[in-house]
Amino acid sequence: MTEDSIKQITLKVQRYNPEQDSTPHFQEFLVPVSRGTTVLEGLLYIKENLDSTLTFRTSCRMAICGSCGMLINNYPHLACHTQIEEFHSDTLTIKPLPNLPILKDLVTDLIPFFNTHKSIKPYTIRHETEEMENPTAEFTQTPQELETFLQFTYCVKCGICISACPTSASDKLFLGPQALAQCYRYCADNRDEGWQERFLLVDTDHGVWHCHLAGACSEACPKGLDPALAIQLLKRRLTSQAIGLRKKQQSSPVASPITETKAKVPFPEFTAKES
Amino acid sequence: MRNTYLRLMQLVTGILIAVLLAIHIVIMHLNAILGFFGVDVTEPTSWESMIGRASQAIWVGLYIALLAVVLYHALNGLRGIILELTPSARTKRIATWVIIAFGIIAFIGGSYVPLALLIS
Amino acid sequence: MKQMQPRQNYLGPGGWVWAGKYKLERYLYLLHRITGLGILLFLILHLCMTTIFRIQGQDVWEATMALLHNPWFKIGEYLVCAAFIYHALNGLRLILQELGFALGRPTPPVYPYKDALRKKRPWTIAMIAVIAILALVFFYDFIVGGW
Repeated sequence: MTEDSIKQITLKVQRYNPEQDSTPHFQEFLVPVSRGTTVLEGLLYIKENLDSTLTFRTSCRMAICGSCGMLINNYPHLACHTQIEEFHSDTLTIKPLPNLPILKDLVTDLIPFFNTHKSIKPYTIRHETEEMENPTAEFTQTPQELETFLQFTYCVKCGICISACPTSASDKLFLGPQALAQCYRYCADNRDEGWQERFLLVDTDHGVWHCHLAGACSEACPKGLDPALAIQLLKRRLTSQAIGLRKKQQSSPVASPITETKAKVPFPEFTAKES
Repeated sequence: MRNTYLRLMQLVTGILIAVLLAIHIVIMHLNAILGFFGVDVTEPTSWESMIGRASQAIWVGLYIALLAVVLYHALNGLRGIILELTPSARTKRIATWVIIAFGIIAFIGGSYVPLALLIS
Repeated sequence: MKQMQPRQNYLGPGGWVWAGKYKLERYLYLLHRITGLGILLFLILHLCMTTIFRIQGQDVWEATMALLHNPWFKIGEYLVCAAFIYHALNGLRLILQELGFALGRPTPPVYPYKDALRKKRPWTIAMIAVIAILALVFFYDFIVGGW
Protein backbone atom coordinates (compact mmCIF):
# COMPACT_ATOMS: atom_id res chain seq x y z
CA MET A 1 0.00 0.00 0.00
CA THR A 2 1.37 3.41 -0.93
CA GLU A 3 1.89 6.05 1.71
CA ASP A 4 -0.43 8.65 0.14
CA SER A 5 -3.53 6.42 0.22
CA ILE A 6 -3.49 6.62 4.02
CA LYS A 7 -5.31 9.57 5.54
CA GLN A 8 -5.85 10.63 9.12
CA ILE A 9 -9.29 10.47 10.73
CA THR A 10 -10.24 11.87 14.13
CA LEU A 11 -12.04 9.41 16.37
CA LYS A 12 -13.91 11.21 19.16
CA VAL A 13 -14.35 8.49 21.75
CA GLN A 14 -16.50 8.81 24.86
CA ARG A 15 -14.39 7.94 27.93
CA TYR A 16 -15.73 7.09 31.34
CA ASN A 17 -13.76 5.49 34.13
CA PRO A 18 -16.04 4.86 37.12
CA GLU A 19 -13.07 5.02 39.53
CA GLN A 20 -11.98 8.53 38.50
CA ASP A 21 -14.66 10.31 36.46
CA SER A 22 -17.99 11.57 37.66
CA THR A 23 -19.33 12.14 34.14
CA PRO A 24 -18.29 10.84 30.71
CA HIS A 25 -16.10 13.04 28.54
CA PHE A 26 -14.75 12.87 25.00
CA GLN A 27 -11.18 12.24 23.94
CA GLU A 28 -9.90 12.68 20.39
CA PHE A 29 -7.45 10.38 18.65
CA LEU A 30 -5.86 10.67 15.20
CA VAL A 31 -6.01 7.33 13.45
CA PRO A 32 -4.54 6.45 10.04
CA VAL A 33 -7.20 5.03 7.76
CA SER A 34 -6.94 3.29 4.43
CA ARG A 35 -9.53 1.67 2.21
CA GLY A 36 -11.44 -0.98 4.15
CA THR A 37 -10.39 0.01 7.68
CA THR A 38 -13.21 -0.79 10.09
CA VAL A 39 -14.08 1.26 13.14
CA LEU A 40 -12.97 -1.66 15.28
CA GLU A 41 -9.53 -1.60 13.64
CA GLY A 42 -9.35 2.11 14.40
CA LEU A 43 -10.12 1.42 18.06
CA LEU A 44 -7.56 -1.39 18.16
CA TYR A 45 -4.98 1.02 16.68
CA ILE A 46 -5.71 3.46 19.50
CA LYS A 47 -5.37 0.75 22.12
CA GLU A 48 -2.08 -0.52 20.67
CA ASN A 49 -0.38 2.79 19.85
CA LEU A 50 -2.02 5.77 21.52
CA ASP A 51 -3.82 4.94 24.75
CA SER A 52 -3.84 1.46 26.18
CA THR A 53 -6.44 2.40 28.81
CA LEU A 54 -9.21 2.66 26.18
CA THR A 55 -11.71 -0.08 26.97
CA PHE A 56 -14.08 -1.74 24.56
CA ARG A 57 -15.48 -5.22 24.12
CA THR A 58 -14.63 -7.19 21.00
CA SER A 59 -14.15 -10.75 20.02
CA CYS A 60 -14.81 -12.23 16.60
CA ARG A 61 -14.31 -9.10 14.39
CA MET A 62 -16.78 -10.58 11.86
CA ALA A 63 -20.29 -9.68 13.10
CA ILE A 64 -20.93 -13.09 14.67
CA CYS A 65 -20.39 -12.55 18.40
CA GLY A 66 -22.31 -9.29 18.89
CA SER A 67 -19.75 -7.83 21.32
CA CYS A 68 -18.81 -4.55 19.70
CA GLY A 69 -22.16 -2.76 19.34
CA MET A 70 -21.59 0.97 19.77
CA LEU A 71 -23.06 4.29 18.74
CA ILE A 72 -21.01 5.56 15.80
CA ASN A 73 -21.98 9.03 14.51
CA ASN A 74 -25.25 8.71 16.42
CA TYR A 75 -26.33 5.44 14.88
CA PRO A 76 -25.81 2.02 16.46
CA HIS A 77 -23.47 -0.25 14.53
CA LEU A 78 -21.29 -3.25 15.13
CA ALA A 79 -17.84 -1.64 15.04
CA CYS A 80 -16.31 -4.64 13.26
CA HIS A 81 -18.98 -4.55 10.58
CA THR A 82 -18.70 -0.85 9.76
CA GLN A 83 -15.99 0.68 7.61
CA ILE A 84 -14.79 4.19 8.42
CA GLU A 85 -15.08 5.12 4.73
CA GLU A 86 -18.87 4.60 4.87
CA PHE A 87 -19.33 7.82 6.82
CA HIS A 88 -17.53 10.17 4.37
CA SER A 89 -16.42 12.36 7.23
CA ASP A 90 -13.16 13.28 8.93
CA THR A 91 -14.51 12.89 12.45
CA LEU A 92 -16.28 9.91 13.94
CA THR A 93 -18.03 10.20 17.30
CA ILE A 94 -18.05 6.89 19.14
CA LYS A 95 -20.26 6.41 22.18
CA PRO A 96 -21.46 3.35 24.09
CA LEU A 97 -24.96 2.07 23.26
CA PRO A 98 -27.67 4.02 25.09
CA ASN A 99 -30.36 2.38 27.27
CA LEU A 100 -27.75 -0.06 28.66
CA PRO A 101 -25.65 0.68 31.78
CA ILE A 102 -22.05 1.79 31.07
CA LEU A 103 -19.32 -0.18 32.85
CA LYS A 104 -16.32 1.64 31.43
CA ASP A 105 -15.61 3.67 28.28
CA LEU A 106 -17.47 1.81 25.50
CA VAL A 107 -18.30 -1.32 27.50
CA THR A 108 -21.97 -1.69 28.40
CA ASP A 109 -23.39 -4.07 30.98
CA LEU A 110 -25.29 -6.71 29.02
CA ILE A 111 -26.17 -8.91 32.04
CA PRO A 112 -29.67 -7.40 32.62
CA PHE A 113 -30.30 -7.71 28.89
CA PHE A 114 -29.31 -11.39 28.91
CA ASN A 115 -31.48 -11.97 31.98
CA THR A 116 -34.46 -10.47 30.17
CA HIS A 117 -33.76 -12.79 27.28
CA LYS A 118 -33.64 -15.77 29.67
CA SER A 119 -36.91 -14.70 31.30
CA ILE A 120 -38.97 -15.48 28.18
CA LYS A 121 -37.78 -19.12 28.22
CA PRO A 122 -35.73 -19.26 25.02
CA TYR A 123 -35.62 -23.03 24.75
CA THR A 124 -37.85 -25.79 23.47
CA ILE A 125 -40.62 -26.71 25.90
CA ARG A 126 -42.48 -30.01 25.38
CA HIS A 127 -45.23 -31.65 27.35
CA GLU A 128 -43.69 -35.13 27.20
CA THR A 129 -41.13 -34.83 29.99
CA GLU A 130 -39.87 -38.37 29.47
CA GLU A 131 -38.79 -37.57 25.91
CA MET A 132 -37.13 -34.33 27.08
CA GLU A 133 -35.17 -36.12 29.85
CA ASN A 134 -34.13 -39.13 27.82
CA PRO A 135 -34.40 -38.20 24.16
CA THR A 136 -34.75 -41.05 21.68
CA ALA A 137 -34.71 -39.06 18.44
CA GLU A 138 -35.07 -35.55 17.07
CA PHE A 139 -38.38 -33.71 16.54
CA THR A 140 -39.19 -33.57 12.87
CA GLN A 141 -39.56 -30.31 11.01
CA THR A 142 -39.91 -29.64 7.30
CA PRO A 143 -37.90 -26.89 5.58
CA GLN A 144 -41.16 -24.96 4.98
CA GLU A 145 -41.92 -25.01 8.70
CA LEU A 146 -38.39 -23.85 9.43
CA GLU A 147 -38.76 -20.88 7.07
CA THR A 148 -41.62 -19.41 9.11
CA PHE A 149 -39.17 -18.40 11.85
CA LEU A 150 -35.68 -18.96 10.42
CA GLN A 151 -35.08 -15.22 9.98
CA PHE A 152 -35.50 -14.63 13.71
CA THR A 153 -32.94 -17.24 14.74
CA TYR A 154 -29.93 -15.18 13.64
CA CYS A 155 -29.93 -12.93 16.73
CA VAL A 156 -26.42 -12.26 18.09
CA LYS A 157 -27.64 -10.43 21.25
CA CYS A 158 -25.61 -7.27 20.60
CA GLY A 159 -28.14 -4.94 22.29
CA ILE A 160 -28.44 -2.63 19.29
CA CYS A 161 -32.24 -2.98 19.09
CA ILE A 162 -32.52 -2.00 22.78
CA SER A 163 -30.56 1.17 22.08
CA ALA A 164 -32.81 2.00 19.10
CA CYS A 165 -36.17 1.30 20.77
CA PRO A 166 -38.04 4.39 22.06
CA THR A 167 -39.94 2.36 24.67
CA SER A 168 -36.74 0.85 26.08
CA ALA A 169 -35.43 4.42 26.40
CA SER A 170 -37.93 5.29 29.13
CA ASP A 171 -39.33 1.97 30.38
CA LYS A 172 -36.74 0.09 32.43
CA LEU A 173 -38.96 -2.98 32.77
CA PHE A 174 -39.84 -3.26 29.08
CA LEU A 175 -38.79 -6.64 27.72
CA GLY A 176 -37.26 -5.04 24.66
CA PRO A 177 -37.31 -5.96 20.96
CA GLN A 178 -34.72 -8.72 21.33
CA ALA A 179 -36.57 -10.77 23.95
CA LEU A 180 -39.96 -10.30 22.29
CA ALA A 181 -38.62 -11.33 18.89
CA GLN A 182 -37.03 -14.41 20.47
CA CYS A 183 -40.33 -15.16 22.17
CA TYR A 184 -41.97 -15.25 18.75
CA ARG A 185 -39.10 -17.32 17.38
CA TYR A 186 -39.80 -20.09 19.94
CA CYS A 187 -43.60 -19.79 19.73
CA ALA A 188 -43.49 -20.13 15.95
CA ASP A 189 -41.25 -23.17 16.12
CA ASN A 190 -43.51 -26.20 15.69
CA ARG A 191 -41.16 -28.37 17.76
CA ASP A 192 -42.12 -26.22 20.74
CA GLU A 193 -45.26 -26.43 22.89
CA GLY A 194 -44.58 -23.69 25.44
CA TRP A 195 -46.62 -20.85 23.95
CA GLN A 196 -49.05 -20.77 26.89
CA GLU A 197 -46.25 -20.08 29.37
CA ARG A 198 -44.62 -17.48 27.13
CA PHE A 199 -47.86 -15.66 26.32
CA LEU A 200 -48.32 -15.05 30.05
CA LEU A 201 -44.77 -13.68 30.27
CA VAL A 202 -45.14 -11.16 27.44
CA ASP A 203 -48.76 -10.16 28.15
CA THR A 204 -47.79 -7.89 31.08
CA ASP A 205 -47.90 -4.17 31.82
CA HIS A 206 -44.39 -3.83 30.39
CA GLY A 207 -44.67 -6.48 27.73
CA VAL A 208 -45.43 -6.84 24.05
CA TRP A 209 -48.20 -4.22 23.89
CA HIS A 210 -45.74 -1.42 24.61
CA CYS A 211 -44.22 -1.94 21.19
CA HIS A 212 -45.74 0.80 19.05
CA LEU A 213 -44.11 -0.15 15.77
CA ALA A 214 -41.51 2.60 15.61
CA GLY A 215 -39.47 0.18 13.49
CA ALA A 216 -36.09 1.47 14.66
CA CYS A 217 -35.01 -1.97 15.92
CA SER A 218 -35.44 -3.58 12.51
CA GLU A 219 -33.73 -0.70 10.81
CA ALA A 220 -30.67 -0.81 13.04
CA CYS A 221 -30.36 -4.60 13.41
CA PRO A 222 -26.93 -5.57 12.02
CA LYS A 223 -28.09 -9.10 11.19
CA GLY A 224 -31.23 -8.19 9.20
CA LEU A 225 -33.33 -9.97 11.79
CA ASP A 226 -36.41 -7.73 11.65
CA PRO A 227 -37.48 -7.85 15.32
CA ALA A 228 -40.39 -5.47 14.58
CA LEU A 229 -41.95 -8.02 12.23
CA ALA A 230 -41.53 -10.80 14.81
CA ILE A 231 -43.20 -8.67 17.50
CA GLN A 232 -46.15 -7.83 15.25
CA LEU A 233 -46.59 -11.53 14.42
CA LEU A 234 -46.46 -12.27 18.16
CA LYS A 235 -49.19 -9.66 18.72
CA ARG A 236 -51.21 -11.32 15.98
CA ARG A 237 -50.94 -14.66 17.79
CA LEU A 238 -51.89 -13.11 21.14
CA THR A 239 -54.89 -11.36 19.61
CA SER A 240 -56.17 -14.38 17.75
CA GLN A 241 -55.70 -16.42 20.93
CA ALA A 242 -57.66 -13.80 22.91
CA ILE A 243 -60.64 -13.80 20.53
CA GLY A 244 -60.50 -17.56 20.06
CA LEU A 245 -59.60 -17.60 16.37
CA ARG A 246 -56.17 -19.15 16.77
CA LYS A 247 -55.46 -22.10 14.55
CA LYS A 248 -53.99 -24.92 16.54
CA GLN A 249 -50.33 -25.41 15.72
CA GLN A 250 -49.57 -29.09 15.23
CA SER A 251 -46.53 -29.87 17.34
CA SER A 252 -44.08 -31.94 15.44
CA PRO A 253 -43.73 -35.64 16.29
CA VAL A 254 -40.58 -37.40 17.40
CA ALA A 255 -38.75 -38.75 14.37
CA SER A 256 -39.40 -42.43 13.86
CA PRO A 257 -36.30 -44.53 14.39
CA ILE A 258 -34.39 -45.40 11.23
CA THR A 259 -35.19 -48.98 10.31
CA GLU A 260 -33.27 -49.42 7.11
CA THR A 261 -30.31 -47.56 5.66
CA LYS A 262 -29.77 -46.88 2.03
CA ALA A 263 -26.67 -48.15 0.30
CA LYS A 264 -23.82 -45.65 0.54
CA VAL A 265 -23.42 -43.46 -2.50
CA PRO A 266 -19.90 -44.00 -3.88
CA PHE A 267 -17.57 -41.01 -4.23
CA PRO A 268 -17.87 -39.37 -7.64
CA GLU A 269 -15.13 -40.42 -9.99
CA PHE A 270 -13.45 -37.05 -10.37
CA THR A 271 -12.65 -36.87 -6.65
CA ALA A 272 -11.08 -40.29 -6.77
CA LYS A 273 -8.98 -39.42 -9.78
CA GLU A 274 -7.67 -36.22 -8.15
CA SER A 275 -5.27 -38.12 -5.89
CA MET B 1 -54.56 -12.16 28.56
CA ARG B 2 -55.78 -8.97 30.29
CA ASN B 3 -53.43 -6.61 28.49
CA THR B 4 -54.29 -8.17 25.16
CA TYR B 5 -58.00 -7.56 25.74
CA LEU B 6 -57.34 -3.97 26.85
CA ARG B 7 -55.23 -3.34 23.78
CA LEU B 8 -57.68 -5.07 21.46
CA MET B 9 -60.40 -2.77 22.80
CA GLN B 10 -58.05 0.10 22.01
CA LEU B 11 -57.90 -1.02 18.37
CA VAL B 12 -61.68 -1.56 18.09
CA THR B 13 -62.51 1.79 19.70
CA GLY B 14 -59.93 3.36 17.38
CA ILE B 15 -61.88 2.19 14.34
CA LEU B 16 -65.19 3.31 15.87
CA ILE B 17 -63.78 6.75 16.65
CA ALA B 18 -62.38 7.12 13.15
CA VAL B 19 -65.95 6.72 11.83
CA LEU B 20 -67.97 8.58 14.49
CA LEU B 21 -65.56 11.46 14.99
CA ALA B 22 -65.17 11.90 11.25
CA ILE B 23 -68.97 12.39 11.00
CA HIS B 24 -68.85 14.82 13.94
CA ILE B 25 -65.97 16.86 12.53
CA VAL B 26 -67.29 16.97 8.96
CA ILE B 27 -70.67 18.27 10.12
CA MET B 28 -69.14 20.78 12.53
CA HIS B 29 -66.42 22.17 10.33
CA LEU B 30 -66.67 21.37 6.65
CA ASN B 31 -69.68 23.65 5.97
CA ALA B 32 -68.20 25.10 2.76
CA ILE B 33 -67.49 21.71 1.24
CA LEU B 34 -70.79 20.20 2.40
CA GLY B 35 -72.50 23.22 0.84
CA PHE B 36 -70.68 22.50 -2.41
CA PHE B 37 -72.14 18.99 -2.39
CA GLY B 38 -75.62 20.38 -1.76
CA VAL B 39 -75.88 19.53 1.94
CA ASP B 40 -77.15 22.58 3.75
CA VAL B 41 -75.57 23.05 7.15
CA THR B 42 -76.67 26.28 8.74
CA GLU B 43 -74.12 27.36 11.34
CA PRO B 44 -73.87 24.13 13.41
CA THR B 45 -72.56 25.95 16.48
CA SER B 46 -75.56 28.27 16.86
CA TRP B 47 -77.90 27.71 19.80
CA GLU B 48 -80.91 26.79 17.60
CA SER B 49 -79.12 24.14 15.57
CA MET B 50 -77.50 22.77 18.75
CA ILE B 51 -80.88 22.49 20.49
CA GLY B 52 -82.29 21.01 17.29
CA ARG B 53 -79.74 18.21 17.45
CA ALA B 54 -80.06 17.87 21.22
CA SER B 55 -83.78 17.13 20.90
CA GLN B 56 -83.26 14.16 18.58
CA ALA B 57 -82.55 10.88 20.36
CA ILE B 58 -80.33 9.57 17.56
CA TRP B 59 -77.90 12.50 17.88
CA VAL B 60 -77.81 12.20 21.65
CA GLY B 61 -77.17 8.47 21.35
CA LEU B 62 -74.37 9.07 18.85
CA TYR B 63 -72.76 11.68 21.08
CA ILE B 64 -72.88 9.48 24.16
CA ALA B 65 -71.50 6.49 22.26
CA LEU B 66 -68.73 8.70 20.87
CA LEU B 67 -67.98 10.02 24.34
CA ALA B 68 -67.67 6.50 25.75
CA VAL B 69 -65.31 5.17 23.08
CA VAL B 70 -63.24 8.36 22.98
CA LEU B 71 -62.79 8.33 26.76
CA TYR B 72 -61.73 4.68 26.71
CA HIS B 73 -59.33 5.16 23.83
CA ALA B 74 -57.78 8.36 25.18
CA LEU B 75 -57.44 7.28 28.80
CA ASN B 76 -56.15 3.79 27.98
CA GLY B 77 -53.59 5.40 25.68
CA LEU B 78 -52.60 7.84 28.42
CA ARG B 79 -52.23 4.97 30.89
CA GLY B 80 -49.95 3.20 28.42
CA ILE B 81 -47.72 6.26 28.20
CA ILE B 82 -47.61 6.58 32.01
CA LEU B 83 -46.65 2.90 32.33
CA GLU B 84 -43.78 3.49 29.94
CA LEU B 85 -42.53 6.36 32.07
CA THR B 86 -42.34 4.63 35.43
CA PRO B 87 -41.21 1.22 36.66
CA SER B 88 -42.87 1.79 40.03
CA ALA B 89 -45.87 -0.42 40.84
CA ARG B 90 -47.24 2.16 43.27
CA THR B 91 -47.31 4.97 40.69
CA LYS B 92 -48.91 2.56 38.26
CA ARG B 93 -51.69 1.72 40.70
CA ILE B 94 -52.36 5.37 41.57
CA ALA B 95 -52.35 6.39 37.90
CA THR B 96 -54.74 3.58 36.99
CA TRP B 97 -57.26 4.52 39.67
CA VAL B 98 -57.02 8.26 38.97
CA ILE B 99 -57.62 7.56 35.28
CA ILE B 100 -60.59 5.26 35.97
CA ALA B 101 -62.11 7.86 38.33
CA PHE B 102 -61.57 10.65 35.83
CA GLY B 103 -63.10 8.56 33.06
CA ILE B 104 -66.23 7.78 35.08
CA ILE B 105 -66.69 11.42 36.17
CA ALA B 106 -66.17 12.69 32.61
CA PHE B 107 -68.60 10.14 31.22
CA ILE B 108 -71.31 10.91 33.77
CA GLY B 109 -70.85 14.66 33.36
CA GLY B 110 -70.66 14.47 29.58
CA SER B 111 -73.71 12.24 29.18
CA TYR B 112 -75.86 13.90 31.90
CA VAL B 113 -76.07 17.25 30.10
CA PRO B 114 -77.41 16.04 26.70
CA LEU B 115 -79.76 13.60 28.45
CA ALA B 116 -81.08 16.38 30.69
CA LEU B 117 -81.58 18.61 27.64
CA LEU B 118 -83.29 15.77 25.75
CA ILE B 119 -85.75 15.09 28.57
CA SER B 120 -86.53 18.73 29.37
CA MET C 1 -11.67 -4.26 45.82
CA LYS C 2 -14.35 -1.61 45.62
CA GLN C 3 -17.51 -2.69 43.85
CA MET C 4 -18.34 -0.19 41.11
CA GLN C 5 -21.92 0.62 40.18
CA PRO C 6 -22.53 0.77 36.42
CA ARG C 7 -23.55 4.19 35.13
CA GLN C 8 -27.19 4.32 34.01
CA ASN C 9 -27.49 5.51 30.42
CA TYR C 10 -31.23 5.53 29.67
CA LEU C 11 -32.23 8.18 27.17
CA GLY C 12 -35.51 8.70 29.01
CA PRO C 13 -38.51 10.35 27.31
CA GLY C 14 -35.98 12.30 25.24
CA GLY C 15 -35.24 8.99 23.56
CA TRP C 16 -38.77 9.03 22.14
CA VAL C 17 -37.83 12.16 20.25
CA TRP C 18 -34.31 11.44 19.14
CA ALA C 19 -31.97 8.54 19.64
CA GLY C 20 -30.05 8.61 16.37
CA LYS C 21 -30.56 9.04 12.66
CA TYR C 22 -33.54 6.75 12.16
CA LYS C 23 -36.00 6.80 9.32
CA LEU C 24 -39.67 7.57 8.89
CA GLU C 25 -41.61 5.24 11.20
CA ARG C 26 -39.89 6.29 14.40
CA TYR C 27 -40.99 9.89 13.83
CA LEU C 28 -44.49 8.78 12.82
CA TYR C 29 -44.60 7.02 16.22
CA LEU C 30 -43.57 10.23 17.96
CA LEU C 31 -46.13 12.32 16.07
CA HIS C 32 -48.83 9.73 16.84
CA ARG C 33 -48.08 10.11 20.54
CA ILE C 34 -48.00 13.94 20.41
CA THR C 35 -51.23 14.22 18.42
CA GLY C 36 -52.87 11.73 20.79
CA LEU C 37 -51.94 13.78 23.86
CA GLY C 38 -52.97 16.99 22.08
CA ILE C 39 -56.38 15.58 21.21
CA LEU C 40 -56.82 14.39 24.81
CA LEU C 41 -56.12 17.94 26.03
CA PHE C 42 -58.64 19.31 23.53
CA LEU C 43 -61.17 16.65 24.58
CA ILE C 44 -61.05 17.86 28.17
CA LEU C 45 -61.57 21.50 27.12
CA HIS C 46 -64.30 20.49 24.69
CA LEU C 47 -66.13 18.49 27.36
CA CYS C 48 -65.99 21.45 29.75
CA MET C 49 -67.37 23.71 27.03
CA THR C 50 -70.21 21.46 25.96
CA THR C 51 -71.31 20.64 29.50
CA ILE C 52 -70.63 23.54 31.85
CA PHE C 53 -71.39 26.33 29.38
CA ARG C 54 -74.28 24.60 27.66
CA ILE C 55 -76.24 23.78 30.80
CA GLN C 56 -76.31 27.51 31.66
CA GLY C 57 -78.58 28.43 28.76
CA GLN C 58 -78.53 30.34 25.49
CA ASP C 59 -76.79 33.57 26.57
CA VAL C 60 -73.73 31.91 28.05
CA TRP C 61 -73.51 29.53 25.09
CA GLU C 62 -73.61 32.35 22.55
CA ALA C 63 -71.03 34.37 24.48
CA THR C 64 -68.74 31.29 24.50
CA MET C 65 -69.26 30.74 20.78
CA ALA C 66 -68.43 34.38 20.05
CA LEU C 67 -65.19 33.89 21.97
CA LEU C 68 -64.44 30.67 20.08
CA HIS C 69 -64.90 32.35 16.69
CA ASN C 70 -61.76 34.35 17.45
CA PRO C 71 -59.10 33.58 14.74
CA TRP C 72 -56.67 32.11 17.29
CA PHE C 73 -59.23 29.56 18.44
CA LYS C 74 -59.94 28.79 14.79
CA ILE C 75 -56.27 28.06 14.19
CA GLY C 76 -56.31 25.83 17.26
CA GLU C 77 -59.38 24.03 15.94
CA TYR C 78 -57.68 23.52 12.60
CA LEU C 79 -54.66 22.01 14.36
CA VAL C 80 -56.95 19.64 16.26
CA CYS C 81 -58.62 18.60 12.99
CA ALA C 82 -55.24 18.00 11.35
CA ALA C 83 -54.09 16.03 14.40
CA PHE C 84 -57.24 13.91 14.21
CA ILE C 85 -56.70 13.17 10.49
CA TYR C 86 -53.13 12.12 11.19
CA HIS C 87 -53.97 10.09 14.29
CA ALA C 88 -56.85 8.33 12.51
CA LEU C 89 -55.04 7.34 9.32
CA ASN C 90 -51.76 6.45 11.02
CA GLY C 91 -53.80 4.57 13.61
CA LEU C 92 -55.48 2.52 10.88
CA ARG C 93 -52.03 1.67 9.50
CA LEU C 94 -50.91 0.66 13.00
CA ILE C 95 -54.00 -1.52 13.52
CA LEU C 96 -53.34 -3.35 10.25
CA GLN C 97 -49.63 -3.80 10.86
CA GLU C 98 -49.81 -4.61 14.56
CA LEU C 99 -52.18 -7.44 13.74
CA GLY C 100 -49.65 -8.75 11.23
CA PHE C 101 -51.51 -7.74 8.08
CA ALA C 102 -49.76 -5.73 5.39
CA LEU C 103 -46.32 -6.64 6.70
CA GLY C 104 -45.37 -9.64 4.59
CA ARG C 105 -43.77 -12.88 5.66
CA PRO C 106 -40.39 -13.52 7.27
CA THR C 107 -37.74 -13.70 4.56
CA PRO C 108 -34.18 -14.96 4.77
CA PRO C 109 -31.87 -12.07 5.72
CA VAL C 110 -29.89 -11.61 2.52
CA TYR C 111 -27.66 -8.58 2.22
CA PRO C 112 -28.61 -5.73 1.67
CA TYR C 113 -31.13 -6.25 4.46
CA LYS C 114 -34.64 -4.92 3.93
CA ASP C 115 -36.97 -5.08 6.89
CA ALA C 116 -40.73 -5.48 6.50
CA LEU C 117 -41.49 -1.84 7.26
CA ARG C 118 -38.97 -0.64 4.68
CA LYS C 119 -40.56 -2.88 2.04
CA LYS C 120 -43.95 -1.33 2.81
CA ARG C 121 -42.62 2.23 2.96
CA PRO C 122 -44.21 3.28 -0.39
CA TRP C 123 -47.61 2.57 1.19
CA THR C 124 -46.66 4.56 4.26
CA ILE C 125 -45.69 7.50 2.05
CA ALA C 126 -48.98 7.16 0.18
CA MET C 127 -50.76 7.33 3.55
CA ILE C 128 -48.86 10.54 4.38
CA ALA C 129 -49.92 11.97 1.02
CA VAL C 130 -53.57 11.21 1.81
CA ILE C 131 -53.15 12.89 5.21
CA ALA C 132 -51.64 15.94 3.53
CA ILE C 133 -54.47 16.14 0.98
CA LEU C 134 -57.15 15.87 3.67
CA ALA C 135 -55.37 18.47 5.79
CA LEU C 136 -55.31 20.81 2.77
CA VAL C 137 -59.02 20.24 2.16
CA PHE C 138 -59.73 21.18 5.78
CA PHE C 139 -57.43 24.19 5.45
CA TYR C 140 -59.36 25.36 2.38
CA ASP C 141 -62.64 24.96 4.22
CA PHE C 142 -61.40 26.86 7.25
CA ILE C 143 -60.32 29.77 5.02
CA VAL C 144 -63.55 29.82 3.02
CA GLY C 145 -65.66 29.45 6.15
CA GLY C 146 -63.78 32.42 7.59
CA TRP C 147 -61.25 32.47 10.40
